[in-house]
Order: sequence, then C-alpha cells, then structure tokens
Amino acid sequence: MSAVVVEPARNNASAVILAGGKSSRMGRPKALLPFDNEPLIVHIVRALKSMFAEAVVVAAPDQELPPLPATVVRDDVPYQGPVGGIYYGLKAAEGEFCFVTSCDVAFTNLALISYFISHISNYDVVVPYWQERFQPLHAVYRRSVVPLLKEQLERGELRPIYLFDKVRTRKIGEDEIRRLDPEGLSFLNMNTPENYEDALKRWERKMRLSLTCTVEFFGAARLLAKTREVSLALPQEATLSHVLSALAERLPILVGRVINRDRGSLVSGYTCNINGLDFVRAPGAKICSGDKIFILSADAGG
Amino acid sequence: MYGFHGRLLHIDLSTGQSSWRELEEARLRAFLGGIGLGTSLLYEFAPPGVDPFAPANPLIFTSAPLVGTGLTTTAKFAVVTKSPLTGFIADSLSSSHFALELKRLGLDALVITGQAASTAYIHIKDQKVKIREAEQLRGKSPGETEALIRSELNSQAVRVAAIGKAGENRVRFATISNEGRHAGRGGVGAVMGSKNLKAIAVCGERETPVAKPAGVEAIADSLRQRSLGSLTDKYRKIGTVANLAVFNRLGTLPTRNFQQSTFDDAEALSGESLTEHNFSRRHGCASCTIRCERLFKALNGAEQRLEYETLFALGPLCGIKDPEVVLQAAQLCDLYGMDTISTGGTLSWAMECSEKGLLPEARDLRFGEPNALLAAIPLIAQREGLGALLAEGSKRAAVEIGGESLYWAMHVKGLELPGYEPRSLKTMALGLAVSPRGACHNRSGAYEADFSGEVDRLRADSGRGALVVASEDFAAVLDSLIVCKFLRKCFTDFYGEGAELLSKVTGWDCSSDELKRIGERIHNLKKLFNMREGWRSADDWLPERLLSETLPTGVAQGTGLTSTELREMIQGYYQARGWDANGLVPESKLTELGLDG
Repeated sequence: MSAVVVEPARNNASAVILAGGKSSRMGRPKALLPFDNEPLIVHIVRALKSMFAEAVVVAAPDQELPPLPATVVRDDVPYQGPVGGIYYGLKAAEGEFCFVTSCDVAFTNLALISYFISHISNYDVVVPYWQERFQPLHAVYRRSVVPLLKEQLERGELRPIYLFDKVRTRKIGEDEIRRLDPEGLSFLNMNTPENYEDALKRWERKMRLSLTCTVEFFGAARLLAKTREVSLALPQEATLSHVLSALAERLPILVGRVINRDRGSLVSGYTCNINGLDFVRAPGAKICSGDKIFILSADAGG
Repeated sequence: MYGFHGRLLHIDLSTGQSSWRELEEARLRAFLGGIGLGTSLLYEFAPPGVDPFAPANPLIFTSAPLVGTGLTTTAKFAVVTKSPLTGFIADSLSSSHFALELKRLGLDALVITGQAASTAYIHIKDQKVKIREAEQLRGKSPGETEALIRSELNSQAVRVAAIGKAGENRVRFATISNEGRHAGRGGVGAVMGSKNLKAIAVCGERETPVAKPAGVEAIADSLRQRSLGSLTDKYRKIGTVANLAVFNRLGTLPTRNFQQSTFDDAEALSGESLTEHNFSRRHGCASCTIRCERLFKALNGAEQRLEYETLFALGPLCGIKDPEVVLQAAQLCDLYGMDTISTGGTLSWAMECSEKGLLPEARDLRFGEPNALLAAIPLIAQREGLGALLAEGSKRAAVEIGGESLYWAMHVKGLELPGYEPRSLKTMALGLAVSPRGACHNRSGAYEADFSGEVDRLRADSGRGALVVASEDFAAVLDSLIVCKFLRKCFTDFYGEGAELLSKVTGWDCSSDELKRIGERIHNLKKLFNMREGWRSADDWLPERLLSETLPTGVAQGTGLTSTELREMIQGYYQARGWDANGLVPESKLTELGLDG
C-alpha cells in the first residue's frame, strides 16, 4: 500500500455537512450533542475546515445551530431525505466537487477523505461501500450532478443510489477503506442515545492513546488479514500484548488463527519482528512509537 | 528385520549385471537410511579420487525406515553420489510415489555403477532387473519420459525417476526428477547422464513390516493431527514462496548476484501476490498431510510448481521482477531437468560479467532482462554457445573467464548459494561455509537460529559453531529417517519422539542419545568422504564478495562480514565438532563414533 498523505484539498473542493435530519430516534438534535467539549456540528466542521477552504452546512428551515465557521443554507423543502440535502449543499457550494457528510459522524478521517478525493478526477461520484452498503453520506460528488439530483427530487427518488447508475461512479471497496480506517469509524453514525454513548467512549479511548505503530503482515497472516499493514494507536508503555490486543479488535479474523484467544499472545507457528531487527514472541516486549512490527511465520524454512 | 529389508541391489550398467547383497542390521542401525545410508555406501563404493563422470562413480538411491509406514511426510528417498559440481558429496532428497515404490522392491539401497553402451533405462519389477533401450527417450523431459515409460510398460503402477536433456548433456547442476519433484542439488542428474541412464522405473510388491504396528499408528495419528495445526500454516496456506516478501523486509533476500539484499519489486513477486493472482491449485507428495506444493498458472496456461528457492533464484537474484517470467523460467528448468538455484546463480554471475564487460559474447544477458534469461536456459541445457560455459556452473565458468569474474562467482565448494543472505544471517553464513555439500540450506538449517531471536543475526561470534553443529546433526537424522523438514516444528522433543518412533518401527531399543549420536556419525562420515576426495581448510569459506562488501540497502544496510569474523566462527565450529584447528577429524573422534573400522 502506498502511503496516503493528508493534504489540504484543492481550492476547488468544498465540504458539505448535512445537519437537517429529524433526530427522532436520538430524542434531541444530533447537531447539538456535546462532543469533545463542543457541539457535535462544531466538532465536525472544525475538523473538515482543516482540510477544506469552504464548509457548507445544510440545515432544516427552523433548525437551531451554534455559530459556525461555515456557510449555512436551509432546505427550501424540509426533510427530503439525503438527496435533498446533497442537492441543496452542492448547489450552495463553490467548489467543483464536494465531500458530503452528515452531522452525526464524529470520527473524521482526513486520510480516507483525501483518498476519496484523489479518485474524483475521472469520476462524478466517489462513494465508499462499507459492510455491503453504499455510504452516500460520506462521499465525494462533482457539482455537475446537481441537475440530475434536481430531477431525482422531482421524481421523488429520495435515495442517492439512483444517481450512481447514471454517472461515472467510483466505488471504494472495503479493502481500500480498511487500509486507512480499519474499523470503519467514518461510518459510525449516531442514531440513538446508545450510539452516542458508544461514540463518546471510543473518543475518550482514542484520546488516551498516544503511541502509534505499524503492523506489517506476511505470509498466511497477510492472506487472513487481507491487507499488508495497519496502523495502531496504543497507550504509552505499550507492549507486544497491547499490539496483539488492538489487532484482535481491528481484525477479529486473526483471533484463534494468528493471535491466541487471550488476545495477548501469538499462536504457535507465528512470530513477531520489530523493525526488521528483533525477533520477539514475549507478550511483554516493549513497543516504541513509530515501530514497524512484522507478523510472520516462525518457520523460515524452504 | 523390521523397518528395513536388509538388502541392497547393485546394478553395473557396463556389464548389465545386477546382484543383491545383504545389508547388515548393525550398519542400518549406525546410519539409518536416506542420506546416512547413502553416505556410508558412497564411502564404500566410490573409488578414492574417482571422477564424478567416471563409470565407477556410484549413483546411489536409498530408502529409509519410515518410508511406507504411513507416517505423514515420510514418502522420501535419497540420491547420493560424488558431485560433478563440487567434487565432494552430493546428497539430495526427493519424494512421493517413487519413494514408496522403490522400497516396495524389497531393498534399502540401489547402487548403480558403470555406463550403458547407449541410452538406457532400468526397469525393476519386484526382483527382476531389466536394462532397456532408451534412444527413443533422448531429449525428452522428465515428465514426458515418465509418461512414455509407463505407456511402454503398460503400467500405471510403475513409478519413474528420470533426467531431462540437461542430465543427458552432463550439465553439472542437472536434476533427477520424479512426479514433478526433484533431487535437485549437486548435479546428481549429470552423474546419471554420464552413465547413459535416462530413467529408473520401479514397481514392487514387498511391504515392510514394522515391529509394533499399533504403536507406530498411534504416533502417526498424533503427528498427523499436529501437522494440520498452526505450526505448518505457512506450508499449508501459502507454501515456501512466503519467504520472499518477508526476507526482503528483513534484508536477507539475495538480489542481483548478491549485490543487494533487498529487491525493489519484491512485492510483485511475493508469494502473497502470486497466491492472489496466479494460484492454480495445491498439491502434495504421497503420504503427506501438509501438502506444501503450490501450482501457479502462467500466461501460456501451463501450471508451474514454484518454491521460494526457485522464485528467488530466477527472480531477484537475476533482477527479474515479472512473476510471469519467473514462472516461464522455472518451467524451462523443469523441462530440461536443471537445479533452479544453480541455474539462477550461474546466470546472475553471467549477468554481472556481461554488465561489467567480461562476457562480450553475451551482451544481452543483463539483470532484469527477461528475454535474455529465457533464451539462456535452453542453451545451458543443450550446452550450445554460451550455454557450454554456463553448464559448468559458476565456479568453473569463472575460472575459465578469470579476472574479476572469480570475485562474482557466488558459490561454496562449487555449489551456488541459496536464497539466504549470509551477511545479515551470520549463523547461516557459518552453516553455508562449512557444509560438506557446499552452499546448502538443507543439510543444516542454521538460519533458524538467526530467525529465532536467540542470537543477534547481524553479528558474528564464535558461539555459532555449536548452533550449526546441532542443526547439521538434527538434519542428518531427519534426512536419514526420513522425515520432511516441514514437519520438524511439530515435534516437541524431536530426538525423544524420533527414538520412540524408530524403536516401534524397527524393534530396536533406541534412545534419544543414540539418535543424536547417529546424526553426528553421519555428518562426520560426510566430512571423511570429502577429506578423502581432497578437502582442504580453504574449502570451508565464503565468496569474497560477502567478506568485502557491506549491504547497501534495507534494514541491514551497512552490515558486512569480515574474514576475521568468519574465521573465528569456523574455529568455533571445528571446536564444537571436536575436530582439530584445521578442520580435520581426529582419530579419537572416529573411534568415538565407530568410524575407525
């Protein structure tokens, strides 16, 4: 996998955040949920503004919003579903293409968004496909599709998926996504209070982690993982056991096959090498930030 | 006698005579079968100083006590002779149905001497030996030969080991092949070719009784179960080609004739990538539960078996990055019957010579040039043009060309190096330097210490000697019982379990200490044979490039190996062996091992 560099998006790109949903299952406006000591919508806009010159928030006509460093537009007709939101957002944006997301996706992964944008030059839509579903509310749209969206609205086709058959659409597969967002946090919507609580916990955990390392897979482990490498965020003073535990959570397929069910050690037949130099199997082996950890067969014969 | 037949068949191709002879139980207990028995017979049958291509050089096929027991991975046989590549012992293993049928002939060893007047093949059915005309088989590949002989004999039960055109033309690294597998290293196929012997066809009906069938079956069951666990994942799920990507990352992947230990395009050639894009099917030897063989599909539609050593030697070692080219090159080597490691090693030497102006007649032969590589392989097999030089192997070819080309010939004792970079695997460096067979990764697995973390693989020290000794003796036992190396990790106490197994097969009361001593005895006898054939201390050494250049890339960048370090490791090894400072086996050691008779 070639490294994806998070770069400021070109000036011709905008971010569109759809905030006008009903929040009926949540029981209160999602955009205003406290997250990381600020309203969720502020949290998201702030993250995207680090990448996009322009942010457009699409809100319902009477929706209350905190002050935002973004252009706020209101639906002409409220609650027309995702197609309506995308349509109004794209129409208001100035960029040639827009990254569209919703106001309940707290984990903004700029590397993944950069990856989407890197594919738009030959397409009208770049849309991820995660857990066997298109994710139209975390996708990149060329503004030239606005007339088609308008026609869809007029026909009452409120599902964005109808658009994908009509234009040049690049589907981003799960394998591609996992390289940059192994757990798919980019698609973790908050629809219920339980979802919200879960997201808060994940965020707190993420904030506690301050050491990063890369795990590279070889041989049978790579075939199972279906990826060459993953990045992990770990607590300070992490050991190999922490690495394996985080890997087990990220890639459950490895549990029982490469990682023992205790999630802290390797099964017989596999070993680790740190930075190409030290072969280790001891769960207590110390890991440093930036380490490259290889998981390979313990048998070098052949 | 249990586990063995206690008999040897000797065929003299010059006279056409064959004779059966008893093999004493004491000898079998001292050397077991496989490589051990083969070494013992080589020492007896080869006249001292014999030319490897002389009729008197014996070509010895041996069976082993575990063959036919149903124990997983044990359908194997050994081929032992004096190597035309090294002038020392050549001991190769191959496997599958030929091994089973060989033992069913009712013999433990087949010794072939002499030279047929014209191309012939040997047909042995039960106790009857026939030497048959084989002019019609000249030029045929081993696979074609096998099919034609089975057709001629109108038997699907018959199993055939054959040489290809390379063996007929005495290419010094020709193989003997059976069922797509090869006794690959050391040029055993060239010796067979020198005898005008195209093939050996066997079909037997004698089962070998074991002393305690229930006990053997219980151990077989247990090993079968263990062989299907995570300890063999690598071999069962991807095969040995898995080595390439990780070796590259560890800076141990010999590239461009050992000029580097990393290859920029390694990922495209990796076993993981081949599995994703070219995998055709999995295959295994007879009586094997691991089934490590991987067949990959080439663009021409053919299926090609590929192992790591072939992939490395015809890929990075020659600067080739296209897996399709490697598959085609491997196909050619198999068709002609040539060792892929020595083919790649000799070609990469020629590529370096060509790039540096020492082979003006081979200007196209350059690193990374697929057409030149593919064109050169048939020339070697046919000894045509440049092929006549390359068919001699890198050591002799470099002597012929002279000058700096000697420095680029990457061999030990004449055998080209396998795919383990010695500078970043110091225990392996020692193992390669002192191996009786030449640069060999099979008769010891010294790299295991380097890959285990028990030593610093980038640093040399005299303590490595004991590790190499242990690895060599272990391999000697494994290769004489015979058990496949890919099962070795499944034993929790190899010598203990091996002794118990051998006891139940043979009825002997064999201890783990006795088994260890057998390994040591076999290894010492190999050395004695080499000493008799002119071994000198200078033969235990590595190519000068490895001692002069540091690694330029990868995680081991800057790592080298000095002559002083190598010398110290070798001294440590001689000491651990109980040999003198010049590497000679003292009388006391011979007495201790019962080799003084």
